[in-house]
Amino acid sequence: MFSSEFLLTAIVFLPAVWSLGLLAFDSQNKESMRYWTVLGTALTFVLTLQLWGSFDPALATMQHKFSVPWIPTWNVNFTLGVDGISLPLVVLTGLVSLLAAIASWSIDKHVKGYLILFLILETGMMGVFLSLDFFLFYVFWEVMLLPMYFLIGVWGGPRREYAAIKFFLYTLAGGVLMLIAMLMFYFNGGMSFDLLELANIAAGKGKVASFSETLQLAAFIMLFIGFAIKLPSFPFHTWLPDAHVEAPTPISMILAGVLLKMGGYGIIRIAMPLCPYGAQYCAYFLVALGVFSIIYGAFAAMAQTDFKRLVAYSSVSHMGYVLLGLAVWRIQDGKTFNADYWAMGINAAMFQMIAHGISSTGMFFMVGVLYDRVHHRDLNKFGGIAQLMPEYSGLAAVIFFAGLGLPGLCGFVGEIFSVLSCWNFDPLLAIIAASGVILTAGYILWTMQRVYLGPEYKGPHPEGIIPFLPRERLVAYTLVILAVVLGVFPNVLFKPMDKSISGLVQSMSHTYDAHHGAAATVQTTQVTQ
Amino acid sequence: MDHQATGEVLKNLLTVAWLLPLAGFVAEIYWLRWSNRLSKSSALCAVACIGIGFLCSASALVYWGCHTDWAVLKAEEHAEHHDAEVHDHHGEAASAHADPADATAAVDAAHEPLVNGAGHQHAADDHKHDEHKESHANAGKAYSGTFYKLAQFGKLSLSLDWYIDSLTLMMFTMVTFIATCIHLFAIGYMKDELTEEYEDHQVHTSHGHFSRPGRFHRFFSYLSLFCFSMLGLVLAGNIFQVFIFWELVGISSYLLIGFYIERKSASNAANKAFIMNRVGDFGFLIGLMILWTWCGTFQFDNTEAGPGLFTMIRGTDGVMKVSDDGTQVFLQDAHGHRLENDGKPSSIGYLLLVAAGLGVFAGCIGKSAQFPLQTWLPDAMEGPTPVSALVHSATMVAAGVYLAARFYPVFVPEVLLVIAYIGCITLFVAATIALVATDIKRVLAYSTISQLGYMMLAIGVGGWGAGLFHLITHAFFKSLMFLCSGSVIAGCHHVQEMPRMGGLRRKMPITAYTMLIGVIAISGLAIPVLNIGFSGFYSKDAIVASALAYSELNPVHILLFITPLVTAGITAFYMFRLWFLTFYGEPRDQHVYDHCHESPRVMTTPLIALSILAATCAWGWFLTSGAGEEGPLYRMIAFSETVPATEQVKSRGPAQITLPSHQGHHSDVHKVHGQAGMLALLAAFAGSAFAYVIYGARVINPNDIRRQFPQAYDFLVDKWRFDVLYEAMFVQPVHIVSAWCAGFDKKVLDVILHASASITLVVSKWDRLFDENMVDGLVNMVGNTTRSVGYSLKVVQTGRLRQYVMWIAVGVVVLFGLLFTSLPK
Amino acid sequence: MGEVGLEAYLFVGAVLFVCGVVCMATKRNGIGVLMGVELVLNGANVNFVAFSRYTPLGLDGQATALFVVVLAAAEAAVALAIALNYYNNHLTIDVDRGNELQG
Repeated sequence: MFSSEFLLTAIVFLPAVWSLGLLAFDSQNKESMRYWTVLGTALTFVLTLQLWGSFDPALATMQHKFSVPWIPTWNVNFTLGVDGISLPLVVLTGLVSLLAAIASWSIDKHVKGYLILFLILETGMMGVFLSLDFFLFYVFWEVMLLPMYFLIGVWGGPRREYAAIKFFLYTLAGGVLMLIAMLMFYFNGGMSFDLLELANIAAGKGKVASFSETLQLAAFIMLFIGFAIKLPSFPFHTWLPDAHVEAPTPISMILAGVLLKMGGYGIIRIAMPLCPYGAQYCAYFLVALGVFSIIYGAFAAMAQTDFKRLVAYSSVSHMGYVLLGLAVWRIQDGKTFNADYWAMGINAAMFQMIAHGISSTGMFFMVGVLYDRVHHRDLNKFGGIAQLMPEYSGLAAVIFFAGLGLPGLCGFVGEIFSVLSCWNFDPLLAIIAASGVILTAGYILWTMQRVYLGPEYKGPHPEGIIPFLPRERLVAYTLVILAVVLGVFPNVLFKPMDKSISGLVQSMSHTYDAHHGAAATVQTTQVTQ
Repeated sequence: MDHQATGEVLKNLLTVAWLLPLAGFVAEIYWLRWSNRLSKSSALCAVACIGIGFLCSASALVYWGCHTDWAVLKAEEHAEHHDAEVHDHHGEAASAHADPADATAAVDAAHEPLVNGAGHQHAADDHKHDEHKESHANAGKAYSGTFYKLAQFGKLSLSLDWYIDSLTLMMFTMVTFIATCIHLFAIGYMKDELTEEYEDHQVHTSHGHFSRPGRFHRFFSYLSLFCFSMLGLVLAGNIFQVFIFWELVGISSYLLIGFYIERKSASNAANKAFIMNRVGDFGFLIGLMILWTWCGTFQFDNTEAGPGLFTMIRGTDGVMKVSDDGTQVFLQDAHGHRLENDGKPSSIGYLLLVAAGLGVFAGCIGKSAQFPLQTWLPDAMEGPTPVSALVHSATMVAAGVYLAARFYPVFVPEVLLVIAYIGCITLFVAATIALVATDIKRVLAYSTISQLGYMMLAIGVGGWGAGLFHLITHAFFKSLMFLCSGSVIAGCHHVQEMPRMGGLRRKMPITAYTMLIGVIAISGLAIPVLNIGFSGFYSKDAIVASALAYSELNPVHILLFITPLVTAGITAFYMFRLWFLTFYGEPRDQHVYDHCHESPRVMTTPLIALSILAATCAWGWFLTSGAGEEGPLYRMIAFSETVPATEQVKSRGPAQITLPSHQGHHSDVHKVHGQAGMLALLAAFAGSAFAYVIYGARVINPNDIRRQFPQAYDFLVDKWRFDVLYEAMFVQPVHIVSAWCAGFDKKVLDVILHASASITLVVSKWDRLFDENMVDGLVNMVGNTTRSVGYSLKVVQTGRLRQYVMWIAVGVVVLFGLLFTSLPK
Repeated sequence: MGEVGLEAYLFVGAVLFVCGVVCMATKRNGIGVLMGVELVLNGANVNFVAFSRYTPLGLDGQATALFVVVLAAAEAAVALAIALNYYNNHLTIDVDRGNELQG
């Protein structure tokens, strides 16, 4: 229907262009500006769906790829493309942005500025997921950072400046590390920023020699720290609770729904293919860190009294499964062992990212709905909400159960599959990861009991509790239905992802086995001799 | 009719029965959209869904009976004993014979293993004997297939499957039947909820009693959700799918226990139930991980892609291939050959298999409330009584036993030993607590735990059929007793304490006497010599016989026989105690007695229906001709036995167990059957008589006994102090650790972060000082000097014109003077 | 009458110049100052012309003198305008009264 160039460019830049339209509105005309934004995000979402429709799940390669020279002097190109790994995330971004735009009615301050930043943020996010040029990726990465800073810093809660700066500095620090790694690749990879080309070089199939092991290791560690901050993984996660607590509801939704996924996406798209050796070298550490994040996040969540903080820590815990699934790359006798389990792990990690994008977005939305009414988030002052808002509570329960990993809902598949794939890697870590199911059940059920159950609401502003609004109902039902559909038919998501992921797994294991694995074996034999 | 087509029909029937409640759930949860709060229509919808489900299941059972080759089993038995007493009174089997064409087809089907066509190839092999055993082992008994695929990663595949054998069908029929009865009962029991203003006297708010709109429809929607999950669990064709529905029944149970969401005790109990189940599921998950990693499949049955778990572990003849040193178990394919991987035989470590079995069994422990995770079940009685009857006695808690039975082929004898001991401990602990409990529902809850312990024990000692037999009979009489207690509670206006009851049989005769049937059934009373009793008698008999046979072969484990025997007496005692305290004697609380009334017909009809089944379900077609293990119920269950044992099986693992044979009339179990039955009956009579002496005839005052052993009494009333122990051992530490984690974030990570921020600030302060003092100082100095020079020079600028001229003149003169004096000539 | 030498012209020029300077320095009347300026300029002119006549300078000196005349005229015009404005502001043309430019 559309040319690749148009479709991808439109997905990336439509929101930013759309934000120009906002300039024409009268600042007092908040309602129509909101509708305008919703329309823009909806159009973008439709385009992403179109992208999904025109995507061929049988291919492992990049689709719709095109490249236009941007800064020829430095060999920087405007390269966009989509494969099974980025496609679900692009669609998720479109969806979450749309839902967040619908949830933006609660913003009443400087609406025009808010909406413009919101749309620019969407452009940044889309750009990150679609760009295939490292430089472009970096540019979009930073483009997305600034609007986020202002959205938290201007429209946030009481400690917004602190949270915004914390978020900004953390991400910027990661960005700097990424920049260094990028330049390392640039100068060692024949002056190229092209991610596919660089991956080819790493695989030993490029025009110049493959990256050395030291380089791979150093670059991987830098990239990993950069992405782990976004993920976020212990110990780089402390920006997340603050940012979430202070950010307004729709921004929390985007933060949890999309921004965290960039960490995982960056690891899959950049860190691993460009440094297979580094990735394998750090695999155990990564899995251990993931497992630790799962347990740590769950424990920390249990101790929170702020509803949003609790959900934020649950994100730390849930994103631990992503890290776990990504890295279950087992080497035995210098060869990749049972690569299918690793492919399952990456698939599970991707699924977990999408699932978390739905459940966590939903959880933040549900918290926001309550906050809009009673203006506090103290878990100990809630209770009895189910008596007052039965439909809301029912839907919230479904979303929270999705977070708890209940079968039939999306959270289950990602969690369980990544844990299942882990025993092949390391039984001990697998067992520890599995124990997360108990803790997760503990804190989520306890929270639900404190908030929704009980005879009456005794906290402040009981008069503010009004029934579910149609706008809120729309968002809630969309998320609930998606949670159910993905939980019941996970293959909807696995099908488009699988080919790309197994392609990645194959190429990385080949690279490792051919270049590093054999060498390692020789060394071991020498040592034994 | 070939095998596959039969399977399709069965699958379709059961799928309808399975999915109807789901549709019911969705409809009922939104019932208020198209009906009002006062309407019973939601209940009718739920009843219709589950009722049709029952019809489908029952017809599937009949259909299966018609298309099953009973001859295989029978021929074998005939071959073994030439015993004319093995009657085939089974109507369904008879009808199979009525259609010879069908029967022949079924024989063919029976010989065809589940992988298409593979059987014929194999038949061409030389092992005729093997083929015979194979057909015995699993062919022709199970139908299986796939609904749809969940995911596929390379060779690894996960899907939603179905697996239908006689056990599935029995469970379906039992669950749907009991559920239908309970749905009907609940219409009467929950009618208080049919109101706009339901006042809950147990909950106090800041302004008096709590009142809320009734939630009749919601109760039925939860029940429907539960039925869907439970049936899905039974229908599941792979262990992963079992896990999925395992969790779903868990969440249904959570919703139903916490139905009175405003009661703190209810929501606590719901949380406790779910979290303790999750502890078990943690083990389950470990088991899943091991099997997934080493076997690469979750399928029960063979598929086109490869052999299922059962075949892998047990092969086609039901025998594990253990390596000589006993450390490895070789995996086998559908043809009885070893599976190979890169030329090396695939195997799984024996200890890993033990771990996998224990892991899966840990799930069963949680679900079936076995020691040490038994404490959630008594608390779960916070839910409405129909829930206790359906979920927490007959179906969901039995799912643990069902899974242990279903997964039996994967359990090695060491795991079975653990299962047996867990069951043994549980049945004793729970029975002793039931001795002193006074809440009528809690007595029943402990009795449920104890009876589930019996079932586990049976499975652990190799009495596969006996355990499942007890599962079915127990489901009938226990749900009956729970409904009776519900009827009492409803009649007495939510009084549950037995000390306040007494003599109620005069007020509610139907409840009292149907309850008595249940009590007799669970106690295992029978007419001596004739050996005719209610269902529980036969099933408990079978269990005790299995245990005896086991302990004779393994004398070290004699406790596995003594404990259930003693507990049989305790069971009879506390069940009769319950009946006497409630229905017999004089009323102890006149107020309760006066307001008490018999329940309406919608509640008593299910009681009668269940009591008939509780009494008769183990009987043969004619009472005289074979009941118990020769009756149709047991034979149907045993037909599906995946690991049949016509001979003793010696374990090669570390525990050195010998499992008794239990098939046929020369088996170990059969030999000790009479002896075991006598002992069990004796224990039951002793227990009942003792209960009559104390609570019926009141010859001995129970308070005297209590005063004799105050510490023991307190210990039992405190439920062996498990709750206290767990609170101290797990709940508190978790809270402490979580506080540490949160504190670590705040006190360490953030402090490091803030410290680095402060260091940056300090450095920048120095930077500022340097800038301000050094760099700015220099610049300012230049500026200041210039300025002061300017100031000092400004006096020259007088603004007086004439003076300027003077200066010019003087200057010129001076310049000239200088010129003339200093310039060289 | 003998040839008048360069010195005589230079003497006259010097006298004119000194008169002019003295006039500028002593007169408080603005117009007087202007007149002094004219004297100074013309003293210089005399010198230019004289040097033009008696040295190999040639016509350059006379041309410069012409420029100076023109300059003097222009200066007079501007200066008179200043004087007028000065009068407007101070109601006098006493230059001693105008010391606003004092530092």
